[in-house]
Amino acid sequence: MTLWGALAGGFVGTLVLTTGMRLGTELKLTRIDLPFLLGTAFTADRTRARALGYGLHFVAGLAFASLYYAVFRSIDEASWWLGALFGLVHALFAGTALVNVLLPLFHPRMATIFSAADTTPLLEPPGFLLLNYGTGTPLVMIAVHLIYGAIVGEFVALSG
Amino acid sequence: MALVARDGSIDWLCLPDLDSPSVFASLDPDRGGRFRLAPEEPYAIERRYVPQTNVLETTFRTGGGAARVTDALLLPTNGLAPTRELARRVEGLSGSVPMRWSVEPRFDYARARTRIARRGELPVASAGRDALAVCSWEAGKPQDGDGTISARFAAEVGREALIDVTVAHGDALVLPPREEVERRLRGTVDFWRSWVRRREYNGPWRDSVIRSALALKLLIFAPSGGIAAAATTSLPETLGGERNWDYRFSWVRDASAALDALLRLGCPAEVEAFFWWLLHASQLTHPRLNVLYRLNGRARVEEEMLSLEGYGGSGPVRVGNLAAEQLQLDVYGHLLQTAWLYCGAGGGLSGDTGRRVAETADLVCRIWSSPDSGIWEVRSEPRHFTQSKMMCWIALDRAVRLAKKGQIPDRNADRWRREADEIARFVGERCWSPQRRSFLRFPGADEVDASLLLPAMLAYGGDAERERLAATVDRVRAELAEGALLYRYRGEDGLRGAEGGFLACSFWLVDALAQLGRVEEAVAMMEDLLPLANDVGLYAEEIDPDSGEFLGNFPQGLVHLALVNAAVTVAERGR
Repeated sequence: MTLWGALAGGFVGTLVLTTGMRLGTELKLTRIDLPFLLGTAFTADRTRARALGYGLHFVAGLAFASLYYAVFRSIDEASWWLGALFGLVHALFAGTALVNVLLPLFHPRMATIFSAADTTPLLEPPGFLLLNYGTGTPLVMIAVHLIYGAIVGEFVALSG
Repeated sequence: MALVARDGSIDWLCLPDLDSPSVFASLDPDRGGRFRLAPEEPYAIERRYVPQTNVLETTFRTGGGAARVTDALLLPTNGLAPTRELARRVEGLSGSVPMRWSVEPRFDYARARTRIARRGELPVASAGRDALAVCSWEAGKPQDGDGTISARFAAEVGREALIDVTVAHGDALVLPPREEVERRLRGTVDFWRSWVRRREYNGPWRDSVIRSALALKLLIFAPSGGIAAAATTSLPETLGGERNWDYRFSWVRDASAALDALLRLGCPAEVEAFFWWLLHASQLTHPRLNVLYRLNGRARVEEEMLSLEGYGGSGPVRVGNLAAEQLQLDVYGHLLQTAWLYCGAGGGLSGDTGRRVAETADLVCRIWSSPDSGIWEVRSEPRHFTQSKMMCWIALDRAVRLAKKGQIPDRNADRWRREADEIARFVGERCWSPQRRSFLRFPGADEVDASLLLPAMLAYGGDAERERLAATVDRVRAELAEGALLYRYRGEDGLRGAEGGFLACSFWLVDALAQLGRVEEAVAMMEDLLPLANDVGLYAEEIDPDSGEFLGNFPQGLVHLALVNAAVTVAERGR
């Protein structure tokens, strides 16, 4: 069980997670675009926001993999199914507290029910479980995070 | 492109792109969706474009006052702006006019289940990966119910209401402040005026030519440069008939006319983009050409029927177009003519591109003798259409010329010449009728075809055929004209019902007459055709000669291309 294993799993897992979310959009299940949401916290330029957002999303993916690793270490056990369980918790956290409570705190362009687009354009808020971005969004989010967690768990387990 | 009806209703809008599924489609008045905006009391209207722009102004006059609605699809600016945005501004001009608006979005040709919800006070409609928000200022308090977002307000002097529909496709909606929407509206007007200022045409009928140029610019798919044949699907060529087609694709047959018109209007950026789009798209099927390609360059185009009722009850409503799979030999002539025009305007073909163009000419040598479906995509049995053979001759003639200029490899030039002679012999012996003094629609036919005007305009056969082409132009006019309008043909095409006068052919006749030196006749005909446009200068594909009603898809790129080219030819020959 090594940190490098977790980081490798985090990299691969984020790659699969990002691709899976894009697939969900192409399948008309959701219109969530996490890199766009993250990137627009730092720039109003759409293209730059997406590029920056992809980078940030990978950093976040590695950070979460490190957190998973810490928990694996503390319980001295790692497996794909345990990782998937973490992924489920991760998805619920992301769909509730992270994007609805934490993200608007630092995101200057995220609308809330208390804000109005008076002077600057704002992004539509994600809503509870990201439901504002389509009723299929929670399912897509949970599915891709389960896969992410399973990949991180398996990589950590395989890293010895 | 959004189509605004004379009652102020936006009846057609596809999102995010022109060839995407519709969100407003009053092809089905009950289910298709629309965006109504009109006074609640009887009114008269006047419409015009804000001069030199694609921004529409509709003035409603009622017993109580007057209000002006400005409609625009806004061009995005730098920064965080919606990728697609439709703005409707209402100004009170006099008195007080009670207005009502309602947005009835129906995503995916009304096949998707549209949900309307609120983000705070803001109404948002969504389905799958598509969503739109209806932002409004001083336009009443929006209510929602039954899949509709609506409000009432009074348009009064000194007040400006604004309704802004912002659209998201696969991402989060951007909710703009009013000030930014107003700024983008001003920026959109400025963009169009600046674009028009750079056009070079100063001949007769300038207003009509510029309006056509503006309409064509709207039909250009900006990311690729491909030009859509029209903005709509299934507006019927015959009311109640089955001649309903999807025209939101780019036809190779329009290519040479498009490049010619863009060159003559002084649109170098659009010429470059379109030519390379054409070469990129055709690479996918090389050396064969599809009849049409998607605006993004994809070759695969399927056809399906929707359950929408259809305009005036004229079903079916089709999306996609099966004509893509037909063999139409004339497209090769158009491709080579396009390359010839491009090179003549100073463009150059790279070695690889030149090789591909030469291979296309080689293919023409092998297939010109096959029967095909012809330029009009008839759904009856393939035939040896005269115009198809003539366009194959044009293809080989232009290939020889390009080889002489060193733009394409010349190792097969002798073969191209021999085959061109063979085609000319076939056309001369089998497609010419000495009795009728005309080329015929196909060998043994008892009729002519307006498409024969095109080879006349492209100087088929050189000087040797000039006399016979001139006689054919007269015969086409005598047999197919009804007033200023020209039918495409009178014979069968595998479909039930008749169609109206085909406007592109009418403008081709103007062009052909001018090229034959009969400028006065061309001018007279042009003067008859221009008043047939709608109140803001746009044309559909056809006109019913009896009622004067438009038929077919709208606005029709080929008609506007033909108008531009005819006007420029008349201007050139009339000097």
